[in-house]
Amino acid sequence: MALATTRRRLLTGGAALSWFLVNGSWLCMSAAQARVAGFSPQKLTDEQCTTLEILADELVPGARDAGIAAFIDSQLTAGEESLLIAKYLGVPAPQQLGFYQAALDSGTRLLATQDLSAAFAIELISKDEVLNWEGAPASFFSFVLRADALDVVYGTEHGFEQLGIPYMAHISPQEAW
Amino acid sequence: MKSDGAGMDSPDTIIVGAGAAGLLLAARLAETGRRVTVLEAGPKRSTSDLISSQIWARRLKWSGPHVEELGDHKVGHAFNAGFGTGGSAVHHYGVWLRLHRGDFSVASDHGVGLDWPLDYDTLRAHYDSVQSEVGLSGDAEAEVWRPDGADYPMPPLPIFAQGRVLKKGFDKTGRRTAPLPLAINSQPYQGRAACQYDGWCDAGCPIGALANPLVTWLPRAQEAGVHIEHNAFVNRVLRDPNKASRITGVEYFQAGERHSLHAQQVIIAAFTVQSARILLSSADNNRPAPGNQFDQLGRYLTSHPAGTVFGLFDEETYPHQGVSGGQLISHDDYDKKNQGAAFGSSQWLIAHAIKPHDLLGYGTGRPDISGEKLKPWLQDAARHIGNMTLVAEDIAKPENRISLSGQRDVNGIALARTEHNLDTRTAQLWEQRIAEGQDIMRAAGAREVWHGPRVAMHIMGGTVMGNDEKLSVTDSYGRVHDTDNLYVSGPSLFPSSGAVNPTFTLSAIASRQAEHLTKQAD
Repeated sequence: MALATTRRRLLTGGAALSWFLVNGSWLCMSAAQARVAGFSPQKLTDEQCTTLEILADELVPGARDAGIAAFIDSQLTAGEESLLIAKYLGVPAPQQLGFYQAALDSGTRLLATQDLSAAFAIELISKDEVLNWEGAPASFFSFVLRADALDVVYGTEHGFEQLGIPYMAHISPQEAW
Repeated sequence: MKSDGAGMDSPDTIIVGAGAAGLLLAARLAETGRRVTVLEAGPKRSTSDLISSQIWARRLKWSGPHVEELGDHKVGHAFNAGFGTGGSAVHHYGVWLRLHRGDFSVASDHGVGLDWPLDYDTLRAHYDSVQSEVGLSGDAEAEVWRPDGADYPMPPLPIFAQGRVLKKGFDKTGRRTAPLPLAINSQPYQGRAACQYDGWCDAGCPIGALANPLVTWLPRAQEAGVHIEHNAFVNRVLRDPNKASRITGVEYFQAGERHSLHAQQVIIAAFTVQSARILLSSADNNRPAPGNQFDQLGRYLTSHPAGTVFGLFDEETYPHQGVSGGQLISHDDYDKKNQGAAFGSSQWLIAHAIKPHDLLGYGTGRPDISGEKLKPWLQDAARHIGNMTLVAEDIAKPENRISLSGQRDVNGIALARTEHNLDTRTAQLWEQRIAEGQDIMRAAGAREVWHGPRVAMHIMGGTVMGNDEKLSVTDSYGRVHDTDNLYVSGPSLFPSSGAVNPTFTLSAIASRQAEHLTKQAD
């Protein structure tokens, strides 16, 4: 990474690497590395990140280790430059933070108050059977979160390799999440 | 307000939008000696930006002010539109098809929608010349339904395993197929490389095999001295206070600052929704917006209802091979527009190269499969899936329209708003064809068949061309009716949608416009 690269430039460039706050220092790393290093989320709370990891990993095993929470938090930090799939699904960048916060708070309440397994929580969410769910419909959130998880787990050269698909890039991404 | 923003000399022609239509016009006009400035809302892009990743490629899609969308068939602006040099054609799949003769006269022939103010024969020479300039690969003889036209300059792309498997379903159900005509090089063409068939088309083709504007019109425009101003978001056109029909330039915002730029001629080629927004925003207290004296501006918004049918096979299909647009085509049902409760042309685009994730990915489309079952299923699909897309005709209706929202962006510019609902006959057509598509997939030998949701593919209309000023916004050359020197280019001119991908037709129309404007200047 060139020394001249600034945090803003990296985010607006949509690079696979992002800047994460780790132990008080901004470090450039992948989302998976950020998770291992214990990044401090900038937009989501620790509690929201925990719920995000639980639900996403239930939908797409491997999402937690691939850094789903770091990925989504860093894209929410990117503002208008967000590369989250939600932009295709009627959730433009300015609305994405509220979309995730409301759903994750509902998910946190669901997991805590009823002491549910992640699998059952996902079943209720995907069927819109959660009482007092706030924000976008639960089943829609589940669809978006699953697509996010597919992005971080299988939307990379490493993910293709797990499925036995040759990636065959013309120009390779700098690094997998 | 700053005049002549960014220190630009006053050009002869301002073109708003650096997409397929805008850059074609810029190149052609500048090559005849006109001084042309292009204002592009998005950032500067080059082929070296086109990273092979579906996630990275999301930056190629619209990232400007949000478009509000209403209706039962929302047009999907954030997915269909582009942002930056090359516009949506940077991420388009290169499926270049001509409209059929009957597409130009649906009102006269069937009493639905609008007729075009021109016919196929008027456009034919421009289809032929543009095809030669950008390079198309295909087999004209195999396309038995293709209207008259010059042979393709290159042979078709090869058919891979997925295409061979799916073709069996068409053969068994008595439907003909042909190699899909593509603006993708099957062999080196005019200094551009041949395709490598690795399925990254919609992330943008950095090797130049796919004829996106970055490798076709942009180099010609630059060679001819066209100036392109990026991150310049046009708000409205400016009118002569003493002569309403005379357009004097445009007002735009760049880095939060308001600018104006003046020219003898203005062409709005900002893709369907934004082109209409710019004109609608140009009304003032005393005068309706240009082209809107009969309340036609923004109306007849159309979008192809599309849907993908999937099948899992025992045979290896290697769905990562090929190109995003597909390998084969079937237009056997195209000219059967009137079918009782259903109406419209339709086509099948067959055997797309496909990825596991992203909006069109096979993993994304099966939310019923998750948890521990997911990875084995994806591994199976990665080798055995087949897919094909239905593209159906949309009936142009005046109530489907682009308007201005009550909300404004950071610069105080009104957001665009779209409302689009499907006619019941169109919805019926989609249901009927999707059911047939599943039968075809089963006939091909699929052990499991399903289909995706109805989605909006391509966005057209809103500033439609026509002979009757009371039913259209521009004439057949795209000149806005009540103006002397304001033109529109792009798919917003389409009075009806047909059922083919629009880039070839919008390019042929832009070619005809360029010829007209050049003759006019002479």
